Amino acid sequence: MSEIRKAAVLGAGVMGAGIAAHVANAGVPVLLLDIVPKGANDRNALAADALRRMAKAKPAAFMHKDGARLVTPGNLEDHLGGLADCDWICEAVIEDPTIKRRLYEQVEKVRKDGSIVTTNTSTIPLGTLIEGLPERFRRDFAVTHFFNPPRYMRLLELVGGAATRAEALTTLRDFADRRLGKDVVAANDTPGFIANRIGIYWSTVAMTEALRLGLTVEEADSIVGRPMGVPKTGIFGLADLTGIDLAPHINASMLRLLPKRDAFVREFDPAGPLAGLIADMLAKGRAGRKSGQGFYRRREENGAQVREALDLTTREYRPLSKARLASAKAGKAGLRVLCEHPDRGGQYAWAVLSRTLCYAAELAPEIAQDLEAIDRAMRAGYAWKQGPFQQLDMLGADWFVARLQVDGRPVPALVAKAAGRSFYREADATRSVLGFAGGYVERRPPEDAWRLADKKRGRQPIQRNGSASLWDVGDGVTCLELHSKMNSIDADTIAMLMQAAQIERKGFKALIIGGDADNFSVGANVGVALFAANAAMWPLIEQTVSSLQQALMGLKYAKFPSVAAVAGMALGGGLEIALHCSAIVAHAESYMGLVEAGVGLIPAGGGSKELLTRCWTLAKRPGGPMPAINQAFETIALAKVSTSAAEARDLAFLRASDDIVMNRDRLLAEAKARALALAGDYKPPEPVAMRLPGPTAKTALRLAVDGFLAQGKATPHDARVAAELADVLAGGEKADITGEVTEKALLELERKAFLALIRTGPTLDRIEHLLETGRPLRN
Amino acid sequence: MPVYNAPLRDIRFVLHELIGMERFANLPGFKDASADVVDAILEEAGKFVGEVLQPLNQVGDREGCKFAAGEVATPTGFRQAYQTYCQGGWGGLAADPEHGGQGLPHLIGFALSELMSGANMAFAMYPGLSHGAYAAIERHGTPGQKASYLPKLASGEWTGTMNLTEPHCGTDLGLMRSRAEPQADGSYRITGTKIFISAGEHDLADNIVHLVLAKIPGGPEGVRGISLFIAPKFLPGADGSPGKRNTLACGSIEHKMGIHGNSTCVMNYDGAVGYLLGGAHRGLQAMFTMMNAARLGVGIQGLAQAEAAYQNAAIYARERRQGRSVAGAKDADAPADAIVVHPDVRRMLMTARAFTEGARALGLWTGLRIDLAHVHPDERTRRDAEDFVALLTPVIKGYFTDMGFEVANLAMQCYGGHGYIAEHGMEQFVRDARIAQIYEGANGVQALDLVGRKLPQNMGRLLRQFFHPLDVFLQAHAADAGLRELVGPLARAFGRLQQATAHIATAGLKDAEEAAAASSDYLRLFGLVALGWMWAEMAKVAQTKLKEGSAEPEFYRAKLATARFFMERMLPDTAALQAKATAGKRSLMELDAAVF
Repeated sequence: MSEIRKAAVLGAGVMGAGIAAHVANAGVPVLLLDIVPKGANDRNALAADALRRMAKAKPAAFMHKDGARLVTPGNLEDHLGGLADCDWICEAVIEDPTIKRRLYEQVEKVRKDGSIVTTNTSTIPLGTLIEGLPERFRRDFAVTHFFNPPRYMRLLELVGGAATRAEALTTLRDFADRRLGKDVVAANDTPGFIANRIGIYWSTVAMTEALRLGLTVEEADSIVGRPMGVPKTGIFGLADLTGIDLAPHINASMLRLLPKRDAFVREFDPAGPLAGLIADMLAKGRAGRKSGQGFYRRREENGAQVREALDLTTREYRPLSKARLASAKAGKAGLRVLCEHPDRGGQYAWAVLSRTLCYAAELAPEIAQDLEAIDRAMRAGYAWKQGPFQQLDMLGADWFVARLQVDGRPVPALVAKAAGRSFYREADATRSVLGFAGGYVERRPPEDAWRLADKKRGRQPIQRNGSASLWDVGDGVTCLELHSKMNSIDADTIAMLMQAAQIERKGFKALIIGGDADNFSVGANVGVALFAANAAMWPLIEQTVSSLQQALMGLKYAKFPSVAAVAGMALGGGLEIALHCSAIVAHAESYMGLVEAGVGLIPAGGGSKELLTRCWTLAKRPGGPMPAINQAFETIALAKVSTSAAEARDLAFLRASDDIVMNRDRLLAEAKARALALAGDYKPPEPVAMRLPGPTAKTALRLAVDGFLAQGKATPHDARVAAELADVLAGGEKADITGEVTEKALLELERKAFLALIRTGPTLDRIEHLLETGRPLRN
Repeated sequence: MPVYNAPLRDIRFVLHELIGMERFANLPGFKDASADVVDAILEEAGKFVGEVLQPLNQVGDREGCKFAAGEVATPTGFRQAYQTYCQGGWGGLAADPEHGGQGLPHLIGFALSELMSGANMAFAMYPGLSHGAYAAIERHGTPGQKASYLPKLASGEWTGTMNLTEPHCGTDLGLMRSRAEPQADGSYRITGTKIFISAGEHDLADNIVHLVLAKIPGGPEGVRGISLFIAPKFLPGADGSPGKRNTLACGSIEHKMGIHGNSTCVMNYDGAVGYLLGGAHRGLQAMFTMMNAARLGVGIQGLAQAEAAYQNAAIYARERRQGRSVAGAKDADAPADAIVVHPDVRRMLMTARAFTEGARALGLWTGLRIDLAHVHPDERTRRDAEDFVALLTPVIKGYFTDMGFEVANLAMQCYGGHGYIAEHGMEQFVRDARIAQIYEGANGVQALDLVGRKLPQNMGRLLRQFFHPLDVFLQAHAADAGLRELVGPLARAFGRLQQATAHIATAGLKDAEEAAAASSDYLRLFGLVALGWMWAEMAKVAQTKLKEGSAEPEFYRAKLATARFFMERMLPDTAALQAKATAGKRSLMELDAAVF
């Protein structure tokens, strides 16, 4: 296996530029080349523009603003020579085999021995692309199919040809997995590979059936959405998002490439109602969000936003009308209930689901090496909650077969093999998948890449309550898993944290905190806090704050190391938990922030204290206490949230010694490894001695706040919150730099400030507004 | 013959000394309500209810209403009394001057409604329902509807009703069958039968304005498809006077346990002309305006019956001589002591006093907030006041009417066997008070409203208007030596209320049955704490007055003694209520329904 130290991306379109940015996210320098535009002054204009767009993209393409520096823009005429020292050259130009091959010939002349060339084609088989190219090229060539946007979509389809070196594939797989954080799915060399092959058929069927059954776009999206385990944008909303103009090209390409027996070729009618509708939409400039209108649109009318949907019959826009299909509601009880519902929604669900699942089952052995690869591809590439074979298990293979027989439709061979059993089988701690040959194949996750579910299988937790559990994850390590709604923190969470701080009594030597949820924790359950505050239950609130402080201090000074495995959101109290751990291992997509000020509070679980300590102990801290105090003050008062783990390091939430992991599947394993490494000769941390200036610092901070207030950048309540925060970070009224302020004293100050703020009307208004609208209130 | 003396001194105490309504003199309506004016009005009201209404209370009970050929004749004297009521301008006291009212605060209207109900509950209900109709049309009506109906309702020339209940549906209005067919001219034709319609038909006024809930065909199912209509008995002519008879009629009247003087009608709508009030399918929202006002009004009925019954029991207990005090003769010259010497008679009388005075304070405290919600210039103050009223409405309806019946019953008990004899009028108070626990949403429904709707609303926001000021009061007076013996028990009771609230919030959030299982005990717990708060506030005023050397020391000493009684002998129930409210649903729900 060789290493990829430098890369090049050819083609600076949406995909090419996105791939280049993400390669930079991995810390790898990358050349981004595109053609020289006719008559351009700047011969690099296309790549340079693309890079500028990437720097401004929303959601951000770069994980850190410095990432752009790793991307060097250039052009395919002057800078091909730069490919000579690239280990990986990824082609992402227009989907035209002739153009691609011509480019490969040029690349072949300059690239070094052992370098790898891949294409990001979404539909063209590898075999077609290497026609006429030399053996040297064929050996080093593969397909790396990314999904848009490359930073966020986890799927990477990897396809090797007959001649492709195994070692080249290993290098790519390893790089994509560990460095780019992708879920790498090996696909066979067939048109559209796995995800798009099924996805294009699925979306065509879903639209065709909606037209046939006379559903509105809202109705269709209310079924082929959450009830079917796909993102709530639904099928028409998804088309708006990806661009309706792509459809004719993709459909034509698939029709050309696929064999005549393929269901897509048999069923898609290029002169049918769907094709007619799309052609009409494109003629009217309705290509989806990129053109401001598609199946849906937003319009200003008398200063108000009006949301409209396209009437599929009249092809005119009309006000959005919420779908009210009984099946969508009933479908919450499960896919089978949805498909059995007699209304149009139920008929629609069955029509779309049955045909999609049959298609997947018929194709599986042809396009993938096993059926789990198909499920993974649909989850990671199309954000389905369950892949087709998981859906079949939910429906039950026998039920599915019986229903197909009622319809008089053929049963795919693979489905017939599952009759009387299921595609996935879990027994005790083992998990097996039905092989194409009909026998079960056991799946054992590698020790360096597992999910908590793998460790929980067939086991009971060490302890459990309504909000959190403790699990034995082997080698003397315990995992504290939060599982309340959005992993918010309540009394049960705190109780379990207290238990977690004592696991050495049960013979464990290290703790990790994390799980499989999308978010580490969104912070304290403010709904409960608001209710308690409305009922003036101040002692209860104080006791809750105080017990969180105690639990986290117990964790910090425990006899064993703790490692927080952070992914997704770690906000407020959630981040406070992580800040008290011996180390943090953060997934690259970690959104961390002490956001209490947004609801008119300050971090009082020890978060203010911990962030101050982190700022205080920064290696590069200038002299005197004020820089650390200022930094912590600004971060908390402005409720800054990182948009990545890299940014969290800038904000001092992550220390230099904390780790960032690109692949979510490796997060817990990395955390466990870190915990075990720390456990070797672990000693609890020494408290950091801080000499805080007291009232003088507070005055300095308040002056700054008064300035913001005068400029209208802060509201009076912002100023009130900031004043309370200033008091904490300055060390309180009695502090002066001749004495050290203890952690206990800082915790008391946090608690006092928190209780003063939660009694104020504007704070309660902020919490209420956040809960009611999901948005912060500036009051 | 029972008596009724308008409790004017106590009302003045609450209005001027406790609430200090003069503090709001800058608000519309309050400007013209100086202490002198208010006292004079109430003085007059006291005379009116004492001289005109009270003497008819037993008459109405004995005679009842007479129904013949679709017409209802009210008891002897009611017509004349109603004329006097209209001539006195009592109907429009709190109505908008633009519509012929006097524009006084609702607070004064609240005080008046206690007096009328205390003197003659059955009579008071005729004009009482007009207030609800007035409020609904004022809030939801078109300018034309307002012009047609509001002046007539304010003057009392016409009366109002509310028509919700049907033979098969009361609490669950989603089952409603009455239909309203739209007509080409924008009006509707209503067909259906409504029952339990108070004052649905009578001979007091020229016209009756029925507010009727019905479904427009093709609308949404359930309560979301209900609309509200104005269906007058006589359709107003071009000049506004009653014109053509509408095709609606009273089919019969009910024979009931109490309030005999008020007609409780079955109303038949036979393609009757109705005019939409508020938006189509928005009837329930419009009706809620009426219902909330009506629920508070019913709460006041509970207070009023308790007050009337108490007054008679107190007189009787001082006059009735029977046996001797257990501590030896108190009045050795007489052949026997008055029964007021007995601790157990005291228990009954003190309970009555502590309830009525506390409830009067809480009722008017809430009445003030209704005014603030209407007329205060600051939006936030209006919202806070609305929140308070919304939270306290089920408490006042439920707790005041339960206690109204209990107190009337205790007052009857003071009479011994004579209480059971119709002539003394005590059993009438018990019978009349009983309905208030049932109509306008049975008290069980009030309790559900409190725990299921009011508590969770905006994550407990309504609570803030009650819990925060009470918390501040307790904090401020925790170290007050003079109030310690009152504030201590109140703080403990408040803690119990908080605990029970937390229980309902947590257990009820996971399982709605848990909240429902706690609801009635919780409502009563809430009511006790609310009255406890009022008693502590009243005691504070009384102490100050005594310190200042008041000319009425007896009045204020009685306040302090009653406050102590409340804290020592009524508020402790909160411990038991907390235990019950937090006991969980299991023992309620364990048995299979078939066992019952």
